[in-house]
Amino acid sequence: MIALVLLFSVTSCRKDIPQINDPGQYVEANFNEIFDAYWNGMNNNYVFWDIDTVDWDRVYRTYKPLFAKLNANDSVDVQKAYTYFKQMTSGLVDSHYDLSFNDTWLADSASINPAYQRKRASPNYHPGISILHFYNVITSKYLDPDRVRGFTNFPDGSQSVATSGTINGNILYFYFKDFRLKGLFNTDTMNGVKRVETWFFDKLKNKTDIKGLIIDVRGNGGGALEDLDFLVGRMIDKPITIGATRSKMGMGRLDYSPWAPAYVRPHKDARAITVPIVILADAWSVSMAEMTTMAIKTLPNGHFVGERTWGGNGPLTGNKFYNGGRFGTAFLNEVYTSSLTFRYRDNKIYEGIGFPPDVEVKYNKAELDVQIDRQLETAIGLIK
Amino acid sequence: MKRTLIVFATLLASCSLLTQTTQAQFEVGISGGYTRNYLKTSAGYRSFTQYHEKSGFVAGLVLQYHFNDWLAIQADPSYIQKNYELRRDHFFEGIYQTSINSYIQLPLMAHFSFGGTKFKGFFNAGGYAAYWASGRVKGAMANVMDPGTGVPDNQQSYNYFQYNNAYRYDEKYSFDSRRDRRMEFGLVAGAGVEYLLHKKFRIFAEARYYYGLSDQQKNYMINQIPRYNDTYVLQAGCLVNFRQLFPAKAKTEAQ
Repeated sequence: MIALVLLFSVTSCRKDIPQINDPGQYVEANFNEIFDAYWNGMNNNYVFWDIDTVDWDRVYRTYKPLFAKLNANDSVDVQKAYTYFKQMTSGLVDSHYDLSFNDTWLADSASINPAYQRKRASPNYHPGISILHFYNVITSKYLDPDRVRGFTNFPDGSQSVATSGTINGNILYFYFKDFRLKGLFNTDTMNGVKRVETWFFDKLKNKTDIKGLIIDVRGNGGGALEDLDFLVGRMIDKPITIGATRSKMGMGRLDYSPWAPAYVRPHKDARAITVPIVILADAWSVSMAEMTTMAIKTLPNGHFVGERTWGGNGPLTGNKFYNGGRFGTAFLNEVYTSSLTFRYRDNKIYEGIGFPPDVEVKYNKAELDVQIDRQLETAIGLIK
Repeated sequence: MKRTLIVFATLLASCSLLTQTTQAQFEVGISGGYTRNYLKTSAGYRSFTQYHEKSGFVAGLVLQYHFNDWLAIQADPSYIQKNYELRRDHFFEGIYQTSINSYIQLPLMAHFSFGGTKFKGFFNAGGYAAYWASGRVKGAMANVMDPGTGVPDNQQSYNYFQYNNAYRYDEKYSFDSRRDRRMEFGLVAGAGVEYLLHKKFRIFAEARYYYGLSDQQKNYMINQIPRYNDTYVLQAGCLVNFRQLFPAKAKTEAQ
């Protein structure tokens, strides 16, 4: 009998396994549910808890009672909740992070983007270089007359822009606004960006007197990961390892997969480029623009000129593919957050801090206003 | 848990005092066998993801001190694997991770024997402490930075590896001191049969169950899902009776 009592009391020492629900399944009937959906979604899906300095348990203890006092059917309280969401997320290191809302009372409120808010508050903040600088000024002032430029419009109102040409006859230059290169190149019909790509890829492969190459990703907001092989893969003849990625593995904050190597593989039309390759990037170069910068920097002949990049390096895809990252709730249209963590080949994670240049040349509005592009001129100087 | 072990040890000690006779003798042996570990946890709402049991092995020493014919105290310092696997299915078939966890374990048990002189049955019951000495992870994951061959426009796809090539790994597990709890305590119970070969040797076979009471993780987050090891063992071994092996010395000691 004593043994049975002892056995029973000891076996009950195990903690119960809690029921953790999919954040998308919560009902937005009150702010208790809204908070739990979001907080748990972040708790299980955010991939940067390993390096993030935000104490998520403290966030729970602070904001759970505050949300409990709010009424989901009161517009003033919904606005207050918006402020709480802004406060809770302000320190998150993920620089892709963006919270958007379904609630009609928040229809006019901007999405919450902590990295952008931090940039705006920084004393070094500057706006991105105008697209017209790349489309008009560089083409007319710096590129040789045989330069090409083009743009492609999309049904969602977005636009891809690209320019290419030679500088002094033997430096090949390529600018593009975002990473939709492979998708636009593989269309059946011609489009503005494809025309530029065709010209640039032809010169990259066949022009024999290239003295250097400039890839310009300033202001580039990123895009498709497949473009890494599609673009950088044309400049190498063997695979290169630029770093590694890892995803969530389990429900715990610190449950991660091992690091898987991040490759760039040669494209079928590759030509091993041995002359200097300079990538131009700035504080508005984000995500794939940063990975491409890192890939170029990995090459023995690669150089990076410009400014420290934005700092959003984690690849994004649907939550189900890597069991982590972006998710939605009834109240939140989307919690846009990285699906994986990216680590550069030096074993450092540049998320939230940006990738530093070899040669720093800061944004200079006064010079840009008089059509002087100091960053581009420094890149040209490195090749000469 | 520690209090439970202390209570258990005290009970054993009391029992030994009550039953101590001149028949007390010490036996030493070795044992080894097969383990099957079930991780008691939950994959939560992770898509197409489950934890599964995994096999391993155990090997160690057996130390028995007999108070009388039917009662002994037994300690088995041993190496034991408590493995498990996280596996995905359906479109994600092929993605998995096997965790091979090595523990240095010390079960302390009361050993109750019954039956004849040569052939006997026995029960073991007690507690154990284990140290998670090392780990290894082996598996395959889709490498987001290694695009697959792709799928032609007019064809269906059947597996995620068609989009991202598999990265296969087999590497040492890196402990995270913020999360991993390396000490484990729990209960153990077993039953088996033993056969006296000569006066000196006994062989035995046993089925044993280890019931972990310690979460593999420290309490590092709110709404944490605990992880407990439930380990089934089938093992066999051999014991040597010291009194019979060195009778002269034993007699001298008795004087």
